Amino acid sequence: MAGMSPSERRLQKELMSLVKEPPPGVSVDPDIAERNLLHWIIDIRGAAGTLYEGERFQLQFKFSNKYPFDSPEVTFVGQNIPVHPHVYSNGHICLSILTDDWSPALSVQSVCLSIMSMLSSCKEKQRPPDNAFYVKTCNKNPKKTKWWYHDDSV
Amino acid sequence: MASSATETTKESSTSGSGSGDNSETKDEEKKDDSMFECNICLDTARDAVVSMCGHLFCWPCLHQWLETRPNRQVCPVCKAAISKEKVVPLYGRGSTKQEDPREKVPPRPAGQRTEPDPATAGFPGFGFGENGFHMSFGIGAFPFGFFTSTLNFGEPRPGAAPRGTQQHLEEQFLSKVFLWLAVLFIFWLLMA
Repeated sequence: MAGMSPSERRLQKELMSLVKEPPPGVSVDPDIAERNLLHWIIDIRGAAGTLYEGERFQLQFKFSNKYPFDSPEVTFVGQNIPVHPHVYSNGHICLSILTDDWSPALSVQSVCLSIMSMLSSCKEKQRPPDNAFYVKTCNKNPKKTKWWYHDDSV
Repeated sequence: MASSATETTKESSTSGSGSGDNSETKDEEKKDDSMFECNICLDTARDAVVSMCGHLFCWPCLHQWLETRPNRQVCPVCKAAISKEKVVPLYGRGSTKQEDPREKVPPRPAGQRTEPDPATAGFPGFGFGENGFHMSFGIGAFPFGFFTSTLNFGEPRPGAAPRGTQQHLEEQFLSKVFLWLAVLFIFWLLMA
């Protein structure tokens, strides 16, 4: 682990613990992440007893070399983007811990759990009301969006 | 908690086979290590500091985080208000010598310690010894004012100035003047 930057060192530690003891519903392919430590793909499964039971989603994490002081760029990717009031059809997620409320004590694992809990508490599957407009006008990087966090219920 | 955990290890090491307890002690060592991991870099904390809310960080890590968000300084773990002045450094034995010099990071804040209060001297000013016999002059209801000022009831007085200084000489002089004034006053009262 010598010769690594502090961000890579931390990511390596996170990857090792996530591969060794993944929380239920979360799995990571160690090879994909190992090829480039700054770019991870994580598989998550919708929790049993929720609207997303049985569905599989893929989360993409992109880290800058300022991680963990800078939050990771987290989006849903792949064929199945969850239909959720805080998830845009291009995979962008409206979640405060991904920007304003980020803390370096959070981790890939805690972000995954937050997103799964966000999905689990959903009552009705629908896209955000401004989905069409946002998807047309937004930056590719969701961190460039000025998010307005107003709904804490879901 | 900790003592019960060590007890179980001891029990298993006396009863179990050699290979088994090796891994158990290793596990325990690992747990001990992770207790002292920095909440930011996840390594064992170097130049460790603890926030008022009790969370452990490397000083360089926490400093970098505070620099990242100068307007909103909160504990990364519990979001309690936090500031550079309000973290406590942890000094382990021999921890200072191994550190590499970090020029970019300002030095870790120093620990604050206050000296215990020096034992207060018994009855200040009530003896004719070193600390000086003060004579003061005042006008009031005659016998009471006289007693209180002479016997120094109430507020303790500031100690006498150290010997040899200008202030000491002046105080001695004033004390003598007031003593003579008092003597004259009493004499006048008796005569009148």
